[in-house]
Amino acid sequence: MNPRLIAALILSFGLLLTAAPATGYAQVETSADQVILTHSRLQHIIERHWSDSTATGAGKFQAGITVDSLRDMINEAVRNGRARHNTHGRPGTLYEYDFQRQIGTTIDGGPATRLRVVVSNRNEVITAFPF
Amino acid sequence: MHLDYRLNEDRETDWSSVTEEDLRYRVALGNLIFHIGDKDFSADWDWIPLVDLAASFAEIIRKLEGGSSSEIFEFTESDAWVRFQRKGDKVLVSTSYGEGVAEIALHSASAAVKSFRERLRSELDRKHPQAAHNAAVRKLLGAG
Repeated sequence: MNPRLIAALILSFGLLLTAAPATGYAQVETSADQVILTHSRLQHIIERHWSDSTATGAGKFQAGITVDSLRDMINEAVRNGRARHNTHGRPGTLYEYDFQRQIGTTIDGGPATRLRVVVSNRNEVITAFPF
Repeated sequence: MHLDYRLNEDRETDWSSVTEEDLRYRVALGNLIFHIGDKDFSADWDWIPLVDLAASFAEIIRKLEGGSSSEIFEFTESDAWVRFQRKGDKVLVSTSYGEGVAEIALHSASAAVKSFRERLRSELDRKHPQAAHNAAVRKLLGAG
């Protein structure tokens, strides 16, 4: 079996244990609101933006970032980041936050310190990536 | 202006139930082929949601035609962008990932985007007949 798939399954199982096993959702508490990171969206982020992802043209998280730390970063970005409406008719809200430390790499391979989180109108995380 | 795409194979999507959010972020993924003169703004990342791109480009053209001086298309999974700046009846196009600035007549850009949208809708309808009856597809790509 693909090692990345195994890692994703383990991470997802960990999320189930630490989050909301009845619903399968991990809720990120914020002062003003909550956003929900579903397993399918977590899988998407892992497949496209994890450090060992082979996807091109996409920001990558630094090696060593875990599902828990990802959830914390999403929480912080939504709580403290700059929010703006999604663009050109796309539904949802974009949150951007600069962690002032490297959290990953840009599409050019340079250091990325910022996180963009896309949140749907149902408060579900659609995607999140460093830039 | 050569505006085209390459649509990834997809045998998993249930096209009768895809939502606008699916089309904006998750399905009909592929590559952008985008040349203006000698400038190549193509993006062969395999994950670009093409229905979203077609709808967004159409919205950008509509805004430029309505008097907007500058519009930016942001890709969904990175901070990469394509900028369209109107200068009279011309549009200057630049990107965050390609070199140079290209110029094209607004009416030519409009025609290229319309053609892109129609070709994508035709291909989706042909490959996935249920897409033709999906409200979100019709909303974003037109009713045909």
